This record gives sequence, structure tokens and C-alpha cells, in this order.
Amino acid sequence: MSTVDTPGPRPRGVTAAGRLSDRTFAWLLVLPGLAMFAVIIVYPLVASLATGFFEQSLVKPGRRFTGLSNFADALKGDFWPVLWRTVEFTVGATALPFVLGLALALALNSGIKGGGLLRGLFLFPWVIPGVVVSFLWLWIFNANYGVLNGVLMRSGLMDTGISWLGRTDTAMLAVIVTKSWASFPWMMVMLLAGLQTVPKELHEAAAVDGAGAIRRFRNVTWPQIRGIAGIVVLLEFIWNFQHFDTIYVLTGGGPAGATRTFAVAVYDTAFKGFDLGHATALGALWMVLLLGAVAVYLRAEGKGAR
Amino acid sequence: MSLNVAGTGTAKPRVARAATRDRAGRVGRRRMRPEQRRSRIVAWIAVVVIGAFGFLPVYWLVATALTSDTQAFKIKPDLFPREITFSHFTKLARNEDLFHYMVNSVLVSVLTAVLSVFVSAYMAYSFSKFRYRGRKSLMNLVLASQMFPQALLLVTLYAVFSSLGLLNTYLALVLSFTTFTLPLCVWMMKGIFDTIPDALIEAAAIDGASRWRTLHTVVLPLAAPGLVASGLFAFVRSWNDFVFALTLTGSDKQTLPPGLVHTYLGEFQTAWPDLMAASFVVSIPVVAAFMILQRYLVGGLAAGAVKG
Repeated sequence: MSTVDTPGPRPRGVTAAGRLSDRTFAWLLVLPGLAMFAVIIVYPLVASLATGFFEQSLVKPGRRFTGLSNFADALKGDFWPVLWRTVEFTVGATALPFVLGLALALALNSGIKGGGLLRGLFLFPWVIPGVVVSFLWLWIFNANYGVLNGVLMRSGLMDTGISWLGRTDTAMLAVIVTKSWASFPWMMVMLLAGLQTVPKELHEAAAVDGAGAIRRFRNVTWPQIRGIAGIVVLLEFIWNFQHFDTIYVLTGGGPAGATRTFAVAVYDTAFKGFDLGHATALGALWMVLLLGAVAVYLRAEGKGAR
Repeated sequence: MSLNVAGTGTAKPRVARAATRDRAGRVGRRRMRPEQRRSRIVAWIAVVVIGAFGFLPVYWLVATALTSDTQAFKIKPDLFPREITFSHFTKLARNEDLFHYMVNSVLVSVLTAVLSVFVSAYMAYSFSKFRYRGRKSLMNLVLASQMFPQALLLVTLYAVFSSLGLLNTYLALVLSFTTFTLPLCVWMMKGIFDTIPDALIEAAAIDGASRWRTLHTVVLPLAAPGLVASGLFAFVRSWNDFVFALTLTGSDKQTLPPGLVHTYLGEFQTAWPDLMAASFVVSIPVVAAFMILQRYLVGGLAAGAVKG
């Protein structure tokens, strides 16, 4: 639709026929949504960034300006271990489902029988509610009666069970596996959609030319799905960087902080320590890091694509 | 089918080649080369291995829900339930707390879905069919809002709702849920409106319909299936939320996910079979919604992601 208004001395936004101009109409349509965005996303975000400069409690009214001291405290305290846990979780919970999702997408795209049905069935872990996923894996990893220990002991690989979620060296792995289980189906669907755009002729031509499976993947398939792969990895990275639910239900950030990521640390500081100032200061650092990482990634992607 | 051409020769004219392919896989499989058979086998191995990872946990959820307590709590659990019991499900039906959480979940998720669809339909229509200054920035704002960490947003939302006296209300839950449903719905619906031809809207305008009338009597009815799909998606996302409902409400207004945590994950030995039965029941609406909109869900996700 055109946005050209006939010029003339009449009220702004109203056309000759007395109707709203396109531009006014378009803004009217946006207004309710924009108002909601402003109130529930933009304002809280700006306010929370400001709160980082104050000493403020969640439960008591009033606050005191403290400058950068909250940020300094965060950097001296939790920041580095928490950053490391976050990176560990984000990389693990992005790489593992990507590998699984890609392998499955390639398999389903190779023309095996029942591929469409399998695609639908495989979405199941992704569809069920996140908290159910957490309950289920809590039960599987259970130290005393968990099926994982049971199977390992039955097959003679272990004599006694492991407290998967209670040990500092296995807790993060367990959390990553759980989160990956819930997200690899989504990766698979997106990558499969990408694979289906690869022209079969390209593959056939390469096969006729004698290219093996691995070379065909590298030189034919990968360049075609690079774009969609970049997008799913970026989205999954962003989501994992701020993921909360699985970690909180499975370990609550423990044991001994072994799975304490930014999301858990900010949440606990605010709602268990009631310390809004420190929570938002840490949160601000977290957000800046995320934005920085995304910017770097997009730049690298842009260069790689060129 | 990618595998049937090698045998028929690539030098054939295009038409003939297309026809061979249309006859589908059976032709190809009969003439499978050893290398193709190998890649089939590798594909099936991948499907089986990843399938075990994907489906065995689901099996375990159902199996545990059907196992009696004495059987479930064994150091080396039986991989197949010895005897099947539905007692955990009947126990659920009598649990009034859970029923209460369920009512809250339904109420809040439906309200969130309706509100999100209404607000984002107008917004998406504006983004899709009009060109004006500030449009790009607004669209980027909507997209970027998904990137703001939820836990950080929650901290301030809590303070805001607290000062407005909205803590522990349905309104607080609905508003906080729209922080993630609104961007999603706007992007999904923009994709839907993009598919409605401009010519149709122009025709309505020529026939003398006002813009509001065009939108409400021509465009929205056409987009109805898509609106329902985004609404269902918003419903599912709200149904699944954990952290907002956990924090902004007490047990009185709480939804199922935090409600289940409070009911089952306490200081004492968790009643795992009961919890698995409850998990099963809680998943039903989501899985049902998903089956209805599988087509939209995947398409909409892809569209949103590609545009992002």
C-alpha cells in the first residue's frame, strides 16, 4: 500500500476524504502493543539497569545511591566462576543438541522409510513442558533409585550408584544432557528444513563425479545449510545463556556452585538474598556480555558467509 | 528421491529424468549401489541411537507412572513394570491442590493467549502492510526483546508489581507471560499477513470499505487459522512457564509447573511414581495442542528465525 498523502492545508494525518492517513493508521495499530512493550519490557529493563547503582532491598522500601560499588562487588565476588559455569553450560547445551540434531536431520533426509512420521515423533521431547523434562531427568539421575545407575550396575559397569546431580564433577554434565534432550528435536526440524532446500541434482552430480559421502557433505550440503545452521546455533546460544528452569529444578545451582550460572545467581541474589542492587548489577554485566557475544558472533557469521 | 538417478543415467533429457524420479523410491531401492546401501545403514544406526536417547526417557516416564511404589523404589529398578497399576492417576484426580493449580493454569494461559493474539494481530498487520518511518526500529525492538534475560526482567517486574500491589494476582501472571508471548505472536502473525495479497486489501478499499472494516471483515477472517495457531502457541508457552509463576505468585494463584515442584519436591522422599503420573497429565494439553498445529508451529518457527 502506498504511503503518499496529497498535500494540503488539513489536519496532520487526515487525508482529503477525511480518512486517516496510512501512516496514522499504521501507528494506531501499533499503539496497544507498543504500550505493553514499554510497560512490561522496556521500562523494567531500564529501571533494572538503573537499580544497579543503588543499594536497594527487595523487601524494604527506600534506596541509597552507591555508584559503581555493586558492580565492583560483583566483579570481586561471584562474577568469574559464574561466567565460567555459564559458558560451560551454554557451549555444552548448544553443541550437543546441534550434533545430535544435525546427525538425525541428515539421517531422516536420506530417504529412509517413515522419515516424515519419525520427524513428528522425535519432536516429543521438545514439546513436553520444561518442568516435566526436569522432573523426568531428576528421576533418571536419582542417586538411590535412578534408572541410569540401575542400568549401569546391571550391565556391570559400576558397583555402586553415582549421585549424578550431587557431585561437582558430574552435575554440569547431567544438566547439559537434560537441556540437550529437550532441544535437539527443534534443531533437527530446523536443519531438516534447511536440508530439504538442497537441490538433489547437486548431490547426484557430485556422486557421479565420484565424491564420497564426507566430501559431498562438506562441499555440497554444508554450504547450503550454513545459513540456517548459523541461525539455530545463535538462537540456541542466546536461550542457553539465559536459561534458568532446568538448572534450577535439577540442582538449584549446586552442588557447591558447580552449576551456578548467571540466571541462577541473579535469581538467588534477588529472591533469596533480597539484594536488588547486587542482583541487577550482576544482571547488567550478564546482559552486556550476551549482547557482546551476539555481536561478535554475527560479525564472524557475516564474514564467514562472504 | 536422490538415489535412483545414477542407474538411469544422467545424460537423459530433463523431462525423462523427472519422470523417473516421480516413480518414487521403489525403483531406486532395487537398483541401490553398495555405497547407497551403506549410507542407508549408517542413517538407520543414527536414527536408532538418537532414538534411544530421545524415547527411552519418555518410556521411563510412562513406565514409572504405572509402577507401584514398592516396585519403583528399588536399587536396580525393573526395566519393565512387573504389574501395572493406575492408582497414581486415580490419586491425582483426588488431589484438590493440583486441581486448583490446573484451574489457574488454564485460566492464565487462555487469558494470555487471547490478549497476545489481539494486541499482536494489530501490530503485525501494521508491520506487514504499511511502510513508515520507525517501522524497522519497532520491529527490531520486538525481536530484540526476546534477548533480554528473563531472570533480570523478573527482578524488576517483581519490584514493579509489588509497588502496584499486583503481586499474587492473575493479572501479574498474564502481563509477565506476555513478555515472551507477544514477540512470538507478532513475528508469527507478520508471517501470516505477509501471505495475504495486497491486491485484496486494495480491492476492499476501492469498494469503499474503511481501513478498520477492511482489517476486520477481510483480512482477519482470512488469517483466522494463523491467529488460532499463534494463540495456541502462546497458550503452550504460558502453560509451560516456570520462573514467573514461581516468583510472582504464592500457592493461591500458582500454575501447575511451580505447583508441582511445591507439591512433590520437598524435604522428604519424593513420590516419584505420583510425580511421573502428574507429569504425564500436565503434558497432555501441550502435546494435543502441538498435534493440532504441528504444521504452523514448525513453519512459523522457521519463518521467524529466518527473518531474524
